[in-house]
Amino acid sequence: MTNFDPNDIEHYLGRYSLGRDSNPTNITDSLHFLRVKVPGGFITSDQFRGVADLVKKYSKGKAEITDRQDIQLHWIDSEDALDVFAVMEDLGFTTDMCGQGFGGARYGDARNVICCPASGIEKDEIINGRKIVKELTDFLVGNQDFLDMPKKFKFSVSGCGSDCVRGITNDLAYVGVKKGDEVGYTLFIGGSAGSTQPGPRLAKRLNVFIKPEEAFDVGIAMIEIHRDHSNRDMKTKARFKWLVNEWGSEKIKKMVEEKLGKPFEPYTEPAFFKNSNHEGIQQQSQEGRFYFNIPIFGGRLSNEDMLFFAEIADNYGSGELRLTPTQNIIIPDIENSDEARIKLEKQNFKFDGPKLKWSSIGCSSDFCGKTIQPHVKQMVRYVVNHLINSFNIDVLDESGIIIQANGCPNHCCASSLAEIGLSGMIAKIAGEKTQLYNIVLGGGVGPEAKLGRVIERGIPHYQIVEKIDSIIENYLKNKKDAEKFRDFCNRHSEEDLKNYLLKN
Amino acid sequence: MSKSKIKLKKIEDNLYELDVRGMVCPFPQILITKALENLAEKDILEVFIDNPPSVRDIPPALERKGYNTDLVKIDKINSKFVIQSR
Repeated sequence: MTNFDPNDIEHYLGRYSLGRDSNPTNITDSLHFLRVKVPGGFITSDQFRGVADLVKKYSKGKAEITDRQDIQLHWIDSEDALDVFAVMEDLGFTTDMCGQGFGGARYGDARNVICCPASGIEKDEIINGRKIVKELTDFLVGNQDFLDMPKKFKFSVSGCGSDCVRGITNDLAYVGVKKGDEVGYTLFIGGSAGSTQPGPRLAKRLNVFIKPEEAFDVGIAMIEIHRDHSNRDMKTKARFKWLVNEWGSEKIKKMVEEKLGKPFEPYTEPAFFKNSNHEGIQQQSQEGRFYFNIPIFGGRLSNEDMLFFAEIADNYGSGELRLTPTQNIIIPDIENSDEARIKLEKQNFKFDGPKLKWSSIGCSSDFCGKTIQPHVKQMVRYVVNHLINSFNIDVLDESGIIIQANGCPNHCCASSLAEIGLSGMIAKIAGEKTQLYNIVLGGGVGPEAKLGRVIERGIPHYQIVEKIDSIIENYLKNKKDAEKFRDFCNRHSEEDLKNYLLKN
Repeated sequence: MSKSKIKLKKIEDNLYELDVRGMVCPFPQILITKALENLAEKDILEVFIDNPPSVRDIPPALERKGYNTDLVKIDKINSKFVIQSR
């Protein structure tokens, strides 16, 4: 003894990990997942091909785009992990640290920094957030000082005037704004859709304006406050939202000012002025170029799909792709848009249909083992297809309805932040284990962000569509002028909404 | 000579110790496998570990490779594996 040399292993510590899929009701045979962080969702065609190779070799040819712009692979054997990490390192990627399995409030890391997927290409964009995504990622990935926080910390950046990244559910959201002739960011802190204490919270707005060159220092000051002051006594109180709730946002704002050595500039103008998830095919700010937002539906795709998209990006775009927070893929810089569209539609990636086809999301509950059939992504697909077949496109678009569903109270797909949310649970009905969903209504992000209310609890999956039909029909019958579905729900009491969910 | 902070310590004849506390999956399993490859058949490996998913998953994986693993709970957070060849 001994030639035990763990240098090749230590090299990956703090930057790579596998998450655990193996809960009791998981019938997928996957023990571990690999969550490839793609900062801001920006990825080149060569990187995408590289991940597609991993998907083919280690993940049964299947991948999923997550709502934090990661690419998630399942069925990863821990004995293959070092080979996988080596390829990822060559491609320039790392993973989440998945430290939530530990007992106690510790081993929290900074999660993938998410960003508006139309950064730098959106018409009327206020600010391109790409720079701050890179600065934060470069500083925080593998940084030992930020790998043992009480719990994870989530950053988001948007500069298009909409909350397309659901910044309102992040620990620190940078939102692009204009102050006079100057562009910069205003900030929201302490958001989270999950059920840990003090429960789901919309991020609190700090009425401040920061210059782009101040964004990095502000972000680090904020994550240091979380690391040093969030609760380490109880795991359920360890998210930043708990500290923001206990201390109030003013105290945190003052602490950041002390760390930076100067006061914030005030800013009280609106932060958001539209709702958009950059759906469909859109003209870019660059003359003659278009971006194609390809609806993937739940984010699941094959390695062949990935190679196909990389080829489209090379042949028709600039060799770049973007993963969206609504589990889709944007290919930017397409000049010959007719030919590209024909190519994509031939492979059944179609661009007609209402916006909810791009905006509706669902979690991977089948791998978490938190649901039985129909699992969340199946349910979202079923509901969305039903709505597309039952209602006119314009009606659906004007209503602003989107569907967000998750399988458990962790709410990783923020069921409380959609016009119609579904939150899963399992119970026995007549002795049979049955998949049930709570129906949450009236939530959403953007200029009028609201947490939805749970209106019905424990509805069997086979009754969900009927109830959704019923409330949409009642909305169409009773809405005031151009009233959106979210406003309609929030104008009514829970009792009214319960009645609207019953077929008349 | 390894420059690593991760050490396989010899405690006494036929008894070795490995500390994988603070490590996320898959590193505890990979390190334990690597350590066992370096030990003789009669050697015993004690592993200090605190990651609950690894505590659950590693003993059955070692079982399949022909090792017996006894799990000793040290406190609420920490556990110890005592591993030896069958």
